[in-house]
Amino acid sequence: MVELTKTGVDGLDDILNGGIVRNSTTLVSGNPGAGKSILGLQYIYNGVKRFGEKGIYLSFEENTEDIRQAAESIGFDDWHHHVEEGDIRIYDKQVLLRENDFSSSLELLLDDLDDKRYERLVLDSLTMFQLFFDNEREQRTYLLKFTDILSENNLTTLMTNEQGTVFPETDIGLENFLTDGNIYLLQTPTDSGVNRYVWVAKMRKQNIDTDIFPMEILEGGLTVHPNASAFSMMSGDDSPL
Amino acid sequence: MPTVDLLQTLGNKYSAEILDATDEPRSAQELSDELEIPIATCYRRIDELTEHDLLELHDNILSDDRRRIKVYRRNVETVRVDFDDSLSVDMQERSEVTNTLDEAWRTLSEG
Repeated sequence: MVELTKTGVDGLDDILNGGIVRNSTTLVSGNPGAGKSILGLQYIYNGVKRFGEKGIYLSFEENTEDIRQAAESIGFDDWHHHVEEGDIRIYDKQVLLRENDFSSSLELLLDDLDDKRYERLVLDSLTMFQLFFDNEREQRTYLLKFTDILSENNLTTLMTNEQGTVFPETDIGLENFLTDGNIYLLQTPTDSGVNRYVWVAKMRKQNIDTDIFPMEILEGGLTVHPNASAFSMMSGDDSPL
Repeated sequence: MPTVDLLQTLGNKYSAEILDATDEPRSAQELSDELEIPIATCYRRIDELTEHDLLELHDNILSDDRRRIKVYRRNVETVRVDFDDSLSVDMQERSEVTNTLDEAWRTLSEG
């Protein structure tokens, strides 16, 4: 029996057939604004709030205050409290990029992982993490080593991944093959705003629903509508494909 | 003249191949087999490269037949030769990030 970690995102766990495989690494890809970071915040916050699991949030994109504001803006009012209590450990841009010394931040992080206190980890974003390596081969090698280290330390991980163009014309990057799971967040402009969709393309060891489902970003974060698969996106102008 | 010395070491037959292959830690025997270098020459080249800090002794690992084997890894990513003012050789060392991750990963695979 595969053990699962619930994201706590309404509807997403249904599509995932219960949750994300424990100790796996899942890549969350999407355009800027698709909701990747929100999903990350939600995953960590739900972990603490609803499942009693502590989390680590690594961000190359924002500093602690930005992250707090982002969390509070979607109604995670206790975010800061949990950070202060140590339930949520943040490594922000300022720490990670301090004096260009990612390697000492990495040492700190590895110590934290050794502690076994944390069960969830978010890396925002893989795109930035990969800048620390000189070539594609190194990027792949060290992504695999890093995911191994996370898995061995019992962390269930989400990594966000910036995607330049609209799926699926874009090349699928190698990192999609190297991680255990792939979730795509899609968005398409409409007359009235934006239509959003989620697609779980891959989840090793799990029997998942690979349809594309509509989702919304509301107070409380992402909400996926798993019963709306009949809702056809393949017809009409709003199609994400 | 240490610079010329360094260039000579690099220019030696097999030296660059050894550096190329030691992205991951390798033993002298592995290098000799893979690169088809006579074993004695292989040891000599390894000594020279280590002397110039181009290669480093990474670990003493335990072999299947329970012997200690020395494994080596390259210490540089890039070597640049500059002829502008005076001859100079600039070495860019391996990034610490990769070293840190390698270290952690190795510890865990031994665990």
